Amino acid sequence: MRGRSEPRRLLEEPRRFLSQAQCEALAQRAMRFAVGGGDTALYIDTWWSGEMRWGRNRVTLGSDRRNNELTVSRIIRGASASARTNQIDDVSIQGAIRAAERALRYRPTSPEDIKDPAVHFDYLSPAIWSDRTFALGADECAAVARALIEPAEQAGMLSAGYIEVRGAGRALIRSNGEPLYAPYTQAQCSMTVRDPKGTGSGWAGLSSYDWGRIDGAALAQRALQKCLASRNPVAIEPGRYTVILEPQAVHDLVQYVVMKFDRRSFAEQGNHTFALRPFFSKLGLKVADSRVTISHDPMHPDLGVVPFTPSGEPVRPVTWIDHGVLTALSTDRGYALQWLHQNLGSPNTFAYQMSGGETSVEEMIATTKRGLLVTRFSNISLLDPTSLLYTGVTRDGLWLIENGKISKAVKNLRFTESPLFVLNSIAQIGTPVPVFSPEAPAIVPPLKVDDFSFTATIDAI
Amino acid sequence: MGVSRRDFLKAGTGAAVLAATPRWLAVHAAPGAPLAPPITDPDVKPLALRALDAARSAGAAYADVRLTHTYTRSFEPYHRTIEEAEEMAAGVRALVNGYWGFASGPYWTPDEMARLGREAVAHAKANALGAARVVELGKVPVVADGHWETPVEIDPFTVPVDEVFDYLRGLMIYTAATYPGVSAQVACDFYRQEKAFASTEGTFVTQTLYRTGGGFGISYDNEKYRTDDRLPTTIASPLLGRAGRGWEYIREAPLREEVPILMARLEEDWRLPFKPIEAGRYDVVLDAHGVSMLLASTIGAATELDRALGYEANAGGTSWLNRPLAMLGTEPVGAPLLTVTGDRSTPGALATVKWDDEGVEPEPFTLVKDGILADFQTTREGAGWLAEYYTKHGKPVRSHGCANAPSALHATMEHPPNLAITPARSDVGLDDLIAGLEKGIFIAGLTVDTDFQHLNGESRSGRFYEVRNGKKVAHLTGAGMLFRAPGLWKSLTALGGAKSLEWRSATMPKGEPMRNGAFSVGAVPARFKDVTIIDRTRKA
Repeated sequence: MRGRSEPRRLLEEPRRFLSQAQCEALAQRAMRFAVGGGDTALYIDTWWSGEMRWGRNRVTLGSDRRNNELTVSRIIRGASASARTNQIDDVSIQGAIRAAERALRYRPTSPEDIKDPAVHFDYLSPAIWSDRTFALGADECAAVARALIEPAEQAGMLSAGYIEVRGAGRALIRSNGEPLYAPYTQAQCSMTVRDPKGTGSGWAGLSSYDWGRIDGAALAQRALQKCLASRNPVAIEPGRYTVILEPQAVHDLVQYVVMKFDRRSFAEQGNHTFALRPFFSKLGLKVADSRVTISHDPMHPDLGVVPFTPSGEPVRPVTWIDHGVLTALSTDRGYALQWLHQNLGSPNTFAYQMSGGETSVEEMIATTKRGLLVTRFSNISLLDPTSLLYTGVTRDGLWLIENGKISKAVKNLRFTESPLFVLNSIAQIGTPVPVFSPEAPAIVPPLKVDDFSFTATIDAI
Repeated sequence: MGVSRRDFLKAGTGAAVLAATPRWLAVHAAPGAPLAPPITDPDVKPLALRALDAARSAGAAYADVRLTHTYTRSFEPYHRTIEEAEEMAAGVRALVNGYWGFASGPYWTPDEMARLGREAVAHAKANALGAARVVELGKVPVVADGHWETPVEIDPFTVPVDEVFDYLRGLMIYTAATYPGVSAQVACDFYRQEKAFASTEGTFVTQTLYRTGGGFGISYDNEKYRTDDRLPTTIASPLLGRAGRGWEYIREAPLREEVPILMARLEEDWRLPFKPIEAGRYDVVLDAHGVSMLLASTIGAATELDRALGYEANAGGTSWLNRPLAMLGTEPVGAPLLTVTGDRSTPGALATVKWDDEGVEPEPFTLVKDGILADFQTTREGAGWLAEYYTKHGKPVRSHGCANAPSALHATMEHPPNLAITPARSDVGLDDLIAGLEKGIFIAGLTVDTDFQHLNGESRSGRFYEVRNGKKVAHLTGAGMLFRAPGLWKSLTALGGAKSLEWRSATMPKGEPMRNGAFSVGAVPARFKDVTIIDRTRKA
């Protein structure tokens, strides 16, 4: 079976987060406190997080943090209300139930919203648990951090970075549905290496559910190389440039397109990137270059996510853009039942993969007469939600390419551009790779894009 | 899916134990009764000391512990939602050979406190195997037993939810009934955090902090006046924001009287024609709101000492004030009329406390004096980084009390105190500044985005007006403001007087994992010369 999780041996050791049985027992107690009929649901995110932070080449904090985030919901005749607590004793849970019931009195009932959650769904078993991640303790993490700092320090540079490993359980337990629970891990490592004089800065980072897939030493080398190569940048005029966007830079922009796949009902109401005219979305229309396919398969070994949504809907494979054509926008089950006569919606988990091509970044550079190589973008903010126009700045390494070669480091630039323009102005595409995206995994290729719009020079490094 | 049948059976025994986990200190949660006894309960201190003892026995040179109990409650009557949340947390920080460790969790039990103490030391020791690191904590007077509460008239959590909800609904109904065609949007939220702090130096203090936030605005359309679809139909009142106050903050605001004022402001706006912006350099007047946002995003963030030294390079970013010891006392960051202070004792402000999260009683301090960089925001460790400067100038090496964390789940770090611009001595107000503008631009409600050094920025939102001979004559479409922070502050030509001082709330994200510290910014309207105005919707 594809994407099979590793054995979950470590869940048996002294617990750092609540097990499935603990969550279910908790929910049973909670349901006893509910009064006034209706249904009760508990959504639980219970987690342990091991963290290591460093700055100026020294670890500044190692931490171990744990918490249980409980959302207690009461649902009566289509009306629902919830309250949150992080305590698991009877008094606290009863308090949260009472708070939800207080709020419920004001909620509108909508009998047409009543669905039958007792329907059995099949859930996938994505690869989201790694013993390697859960086993990374303070001592090993500290040793890793020292090893990552060392190359920068030896080169006379300053490293700042962060490692986080997380083991968690997510549960949804309802009085009227089957209990759901998924244990999962997350790992991330990123660092910024700066010249002590502040004349150069480089960054590298990666996230995965599996710590074993993160090559920290390679990241440390890349951040250092970028720092050294980015020193003493010269200013260039803003304007339209051919840009070679490294995978991280592509993700920094394309993630906003992925967020906009939410959702079909919004697009049909208008004022939406994917709205066509009143009551119609752009589904079935071409919205990107034919080489672009954006999809998500939770069973992909690098794209696993918790296989159910907060409302208990199964997460299934979805293709949002197929060879440039918009083929899906997210829906919930209510919309699917009412308008599509389907039993399941297509939720958006923000995890995605973008199709690739054959061109390496080196080839992209070699075939560029004049252009810019971009490491990543930062401080991005939305200017126009309909055209998806964003502004932001380049960060941690920007180089001018002249006649097929990197000629010099240049000062950072502010851009004003839409990621949809990027997806329609592609010259070349490279091989997709996992990028730093701790919230939801992503696999993204490097791109060469024509006529990318830079609107100002900035002198922040 | 999930855990196998075998896992389920094995875990079954643990579940029974967990169900019996007592909520330590808990009382019965009758409706209306407090959910837990106050932080001043005599049993809290032994809990805190338990963590310190464990950390000390495990080898900590210094340790501190925080316990927080946070309640939030928010109301949004249009969608008929009320949300309540409660969080309890305990966090222990330990120092071993110059390295910090931190451990936190949700349980307030004696055993858990001991575990957190040991865990924090284990993390510190793991890091202490590396190269030597020296941490000198700025001196702080020991407070053996202290308690403080945000002075509020009405604890908002003692007001029944029905009363709050009815009050807000009442405003909506009143507006609709009194002014046909007008609808009011209103919302509010309450926050109460009880917290205890104890350190191995002997300090033990408890505090109860309150924050109340609110929003009030109207939607109004009248075809008689409003002739262009681009003209706004909604307007928010400046009366409500977020403050370190209680229910009285919402209750005392004259919101009913505000409705016709807001309508008049919209109608005044509708009378002005539209004009596309011509990019160029203009004299610009900002209202107090715009100045506070600008201050928070530029000087406010850039004078955070950890950013300035590069500790935030991989997260919230660094600072253009990146050589603190060389720049203090000499670096010009604005015009001579610019003085900026930090103060965590301002009544009613968001960052106001009696003791910070390191047990330091904050004192007012000056960040920018007559346009020159005068100081940085510091914690106890941060004060030590500036010891050379402080000693040379005969100042004590003392934290300014900027250590902060959203709750005990998070380690403390430096977050901005309440910031304030010192107003002009004269009695100038916003209208006077606009009246004095022969040809220029007035920007209402400016918000800005900056880069990762808080150096270069661009407006994010705000309404731009063309001003001719002291009067607003047109809306400018597509206008944006582009700036370099020190250049912009040096082009400051006038400030409003004390009467025009307004307080706004701000947050500035930083840290890994990323979190926000809430603070208030006091600002007056201001005039700047030769500001770069662009057509921001235009691509290159």
